[in-house]
Amino acid sequence: MNQMPQGREVVVAGVGLHPFGRFPEKDLATLAMEAVLPALEDAGVRWKDIPVAYFGHVYYQGMSVGETALGKLGLTGIPIINVENACSSGSTAFWQAYWGVTTGLYDLALAFGAEKVPRGPVTVTAEDSPDRFIGGDHMMAGYALRMRRYMEDTGAPASALAQVAVKARQNGTLNPFAHRNTTYTIEEVLESRPIADPLTLYQCCPTSEGAAAAVLCARESLGRYGIDESRTVGIAAAVLSSGSYNGRGSDHSAFSPYRTEPGAIQAYEMAGMGPEDVDLVQVHDAATIGELQQLESLHLTPFGEAWRATTEGRTSLTGDIPTNTDGGLLAMGHPFGATGIRQVHETVTQLRGEAGQRQVPGATVGLAQCSGAGDVTTVHILKR
Amino acid sequence: MPESIDPQRLRLADDERASGVLLGVRCLDCGVTVFGPCAFCQSCTSDRLEPVELEGTGVLYSYTVVRVPPAGWPGPVPYVLGQVELPEGPQVLAEVIDCEHDQLKIGMLVELALQAVASEGGTEEKLVYKWRPAHPDD
Repeated sequence: MNQMPQGREVVVAGVGLHPFGRFPEKDLATLAMEAVLPALEDAGVRWKDIPVAYFGHVYYQGMSVGETALGKLGLTGIPIINVENACSSGSTAFWQAYWGVTTGLYDLALAFGAEKVPRGPVTVTAEDSPDRFIGGDHMMAGYALRMRRYMEDTGAPASALAQVAVKARQNGTLNPFAHRNTTYTIEEVLESRPIADPLTLYQCCPTSEGAAAAVLCARESLGRYGIDESRTVGIAAAVLSSGSYNGRGSDHSAFSPYRTEPGAIQAYEMAGMGPEDVDLVQVHDAATIGELQQLESLHLTPFGEAWRATTEGRTSLTGDIPTNTDGGLLAMGHPFGATGIRQVHETVTQLRGEAGQRQVPGATVGLAQCSGAGDVTTVHILKR
Repeated sequence: MPESIDPQRLRLADDERASGVLLGVRCLDCGVTVFGPCAFCQSCTSDRLEPVELEGTGVLYSYTVVRVPPAGWPGPVPYVLGQVELPEGPQVLAEVIDCEHDQLKIGMLVELALQAVASEGGTEEKLVYKWRPAHPDD
């Protein structure tokens, strides 16, 4: 099922980020607002000019948190939509904002997301679901099943998967917004606390709190709002998909490790580009195995070979497929509602050439991919 | 005797022994079989479906030893979670019991086993489907 045809050209005019970590002193609405304000400032638009807002979040922190957060900026009466799409909630809010603008419904749109994820293993089903008894409702166990099978099928050694985490942490040290900002070695990754064999703690993203925001605008309307076009970044593709039957019969992540591929194909088609055009990529590395299988689903490496690209340094900041340049979920942490827009924030920052020590030189095209339960995938391609 | 954890996925035998069969649905149009209930074919969306009983033996497609369990997990820790492929096609996730961790191997045969499980802090028991290494000679 293809996405609808593009309409007007849409750009990201501004981005904002609240650091990821633990902030017991702030409620969800406060976190969210503290990402929205810098995004508005970055775009150079006034809150009063925003005609619509989409807010991604998952865990219940009271009803209509999007309205509560934005209400702090003044009550302007605009439609505000609260979006729950699991780990892809933020990137889904961004997708909605894109389609709201490209179709001509709105000239401007705000996409933002925030989360305070509880500590401990993440579950998907309702508390009274039989799956809680059966033992399969455990995100990292799902990734562990994928990982063991991948290692068996491809011959990838444990050290190659650990290298994904080592690289993420290295990138994270160059990012002041990251939840984790220390490095470790392959040995330390492999010897960290086992969570679900063969996954160890340092191969699982931290659960986190944080917020992210982006202001989108129709390119033809930039002048009306006084937005500086030279700092805008174009949106070449915005794709959202859910599960397709894959012969295994469930939306559990263990059953569909390559579910990103259909969305990736759509996104490349929409952008008129191929994987060879992508200069840097943010993918859903909730666990190390996730990064490898996403890179393969996006056709950035052949299937079964992303582990080799990793050990050869091709996914590092100086490689030809710089991946999760801001540290990804593994170093940034993973506040569900914020993560997808955090990826947009990093992509925009890189394409503007403002990423400082982690800058990928000369990058003009960046791809951001985010996965969520329900076989949700988003693939967004940005172009300078 | 305890009831099935999910009567739409596990039908208990009508006897005193803790035995049962996994249930699925086969599509009369495309032939795909899925585990558990569905009103429309998950592959082709047809509503021409027939209920089927699934094979009680499958192949271990992947497995993990879960050492940090999810909230509400009522069993022992660590536990083995197995992803098992049935001959009809669907894969079924469940705990693998009665096994040494170092004996587990992708591709090994496993068979259905039932175990009574009490909910965390609860008194009510349910029969839950599990896998155990298959011993065809038994």
